[in-house]
Amino acid sequence: MEIKIALAGNPNSGKTTLFNDLTGSRQYVGNWPGVTVEKKEGKLKGAEYKDVIIQDLPGIYSLSPYTLEEVVSRTYLVTEKPDAIINIVDGTNIERNLYLTTQLLELHIPMIIALNMMDLVRKNGDHVDVKALSDALGCEVVELSALKGEGTEGLVKKAVAAAKSGKSTEAKDVLTGEAKDAVAKIESVLAGSSDQRFLHFNAIKAFERDEKALEALHLSADQKSQIEAIIKDAEKALDDDSESIITNERYNYITGITAKAVKKGRAKGELSVSDKIDRIVTNRILGLPIFAVIMFFIYAIAMGGWSVSIGTAATDFTNDVIFGEWVPGFFDALLGLLHVEEGTVLYGLIQDGIVAGVGAVIGFVPQMLVLFLLLAILEDIGYMARVAFVMDRIFRQFGLSGKSFIPCLVATGCGVPGVMASRTIENERDRKMTLMTTTFMPCGAKLPIIGLIAGAVFGGSPWIAASAYFIGIGSIVLSGIILKKFKAFAGIPAPFVMELPAYHIPSFVGVLRATWERGWSFIKRAGSVIVISSIIIWFLSSFGSVNGHFGLVDNLFEDESIVTDTYVEQLAEKMDVPVEDVNAMDASLLANVGNAVSFVFRPLGFGNWKPTVATVTGLVAKEEVVGTFGVLYNYDDSEEELGEEGDQIWDRVAADYTPIAAFSFMIFNLLCAPCFAAIGAIKREMNNARWTWAAIGYMTGWAYVLALIVYNLGGLFVGEVSFGVGSVAGILLLAALLYLLFRKGYQATAEDVNPNAVKANA
Amino acid sequence: MMPLTMSDLGTMVSIKKITGADEVKQHLAELGFVVGEEISVVNKNGGNLIVNVKDSRIALDKTLANRIFI
Repeated sequence: MEIKIALAGNPNSGKTTLFNDLTGSRQYVGNWPGVTVEKKEGKLKGAEYKDVIIQDLPGIYSLSPYTLEEVVSRTYLVTEKPDAIINIVDGTNIERNLYLTTQLLELHIPMIIALNMMDLVRKNGDHVDVKALSDALGCEVVELSALKGEGTEGLVKKAVAAAKSGKSTEAKDVLTGEAKDAVAKIESVLAGSSDQRFLHFNAIKAFERDEKALEALHLSADQKSQIEAIIKDAEKALDDDSESIITNERYNYITGITAKAVKKGRAKGELSVSDKIDRIVTNRILGLPIFAVIMFFIYAIAMGGWSVSIGTAATDFTNDVIFGEWVPGFFDALLGLLHVEEGTVLYGLIQDGIVAGVGAVIGFVPQMLVLFLLLAILEDIGYMARVAFVMDRIFRQFGLSGKSFIPCLVATGCGVPGVMASRTIENERDRKMTLMTTTFMPCGAKLPIIGLIAGAVFGGSPWIAASAYFIGIGSIVLSGIILKKFKAFAGIPAPFVMELPAYHIPSFVGVLRATWERGWSFIKRAGSVIVISSIIIWFLSSFGSVNGHFGLVDNLFEDESIVTDTYVEQLAEKMDVPVEDVNAMDASLLANVGNAVSFVFRPLGFGNWKPTVATVTGLVAKEEVVGTFGVLYNYDDSEEELGEEGDQIWDRVAADYTPIAAFSFMIFNLLCAPCFAAIGAIKREMNNARWTWAAIGYMTGWAYVLALIVYNLGGLFVGEVSFGVGSVAGILLLAALLYLLFRKGYQATAEDVNPNAVKANA
Repeated sequence: MMPLTMSDLGTMVSIKKITGADEVKQHLAELGFVVGEEISVVNKNGGNLIVNVKDSRIALDKTLANRIFI
């Protein structure tokens, strides 16, 4: 028979470490139904436990409906009724952790308390009397150090035994006096409507006016009014609101227990090592510079061009050797064996379509992994939470919370994990706004675009790269201000409350696992979305109609009888290129499609089919923009390998674009809809098609408006563009932008301020 | 009574009152911010606070910290 054991506990109580320890690699990661809260499930390690499933619940402080995580956990415990609960309790922080414990005990599900971090408890000179604790709570307590793997075996045995026995713990009554009487009265009102097992739990929820918890009971209006009368009486007698009454009762009960069972080695309020570090790291003046230095080192290691830059070295190796020689060589040999000749459709599809397309994306994986690894270490140490705290003061000015900063930070590496990092933002409104703006940050794949424009048109000026980051951050900030004025986002950002875990040495396995999870989801997308889109792009760029003959354009162009001089002239005219530069690609379907829609980009200064196509291929992966430029401008000496920033084509690119048009092209490509992989991530996190489209539409619209203003007004300013319709459009759009920035906007009412809990299940 | 933002660094103070009546107040209670609880401010950063409550460190923004009276 299958046994389900749920793992519940506070955030930062070591739950993830314990879960990994219990299940090893046999984990399944998904989402809880209808929400974007991660759901993790795993099989218990050990042959004798093969039927035991461990259900990891999200980290929660209580079973009230404050966050999505709490709602999800509560619904699971009440409706799925696991066979047992392992409640993990942080031994260094017993009082706060036991708050959840008292609620879990009321569910009458067999339960074992895993008292974690016992090594730290001993180190701090604290003493916990486990026997006394266990007797007082009426529930077995097991000492544990999940990080060191101590005590898990005993815990597993006891938890499985508890699940098999099905004997629920005899919960001691937490409540006293008036509150106890009131809940007892509510119990009798609910008697017929509630499952006997959850009667006490439901009665307390009813007393707290927790409507969401009671929905499933379908109470009659009469029952509701009876309950309300009981609550009113109790509130009057105790002179407090019902929720606070219960909270106080719980804490009184807990302090009663801890007074007997826990002895602290340190005086209350004494500064710990962690506090001393925080005095410096979150210091008002030093906080930001320290953060800047740390980030500098991280990017130097992951993406810089120095000898310490492991990430860059690994990526260069992947691009130049693995996908430059080995993989194409392997397929070349394989196809040769199968007698698939170069120049045939199948050969082109495999080598130019799939291998080249996937290679372009996989090439970034080593760099990403190094970046993810370093960020995972920062997160595990506890520094990320401090960064959110330090940045909150600044982000709050623009209507965003400090928690929005982490996604933006991660997005400088790759937008996909950046978007996923937005999960930690509890407020739905803030989360949506973060999702809509995070990918404005120049990610790793956008760096080649910046490199190409800076190198080809601006003589390699470092200011172009600096301006790209500035434009990214500026767009997020301005969008924050503008969006906040619409009703859908109105209101002050949700209050910032966040637990800062004590600094600790990162766990090797935990960090590697987190890195791998992020990296793997990136690779998986490369294997699906990007393969398909690479094939489509390859097909469109390889096939076309040459002078009435349809087929592979490269082959048709070698046929002198088809490619006549008049045809070349016509094609040059149509595609707006010099006659001597006409090549097979100009006749492809892609060129035709690009040419047909290129008028869209004319107001931005690059209404030509090549940049149009490059922009579209950027949707597959942003580095494809440069790859496409390489193909489109590198027509005659295709033998020579193209550098990452396309150095060989700089002259031709420079000849085709004025500086302001090139800059406008860069702005548009940095800010418009992100790559398919990131769009997919946004869709998953939004969990709503309309909002996903709104996000993509907003980003593309923003990119278009900004590029148009920069091209037309900037061009007018430097004398590259003469005054005309474009300038008027630029002025009008700039005025509209300023209006949106400075208008008064929708005034938030009280109910807009925190729509969170109510909408939690939506 | 004064708001928590005015408390000195490192001094143990007792919570006298928490204003407002929304789920944020409830959330604060779950984190240990209840009347009578002894807390101390570990660090300040432009009005935002790191508070030591029930042996954990909770970061609070200024508006929330101003709702807690000591």
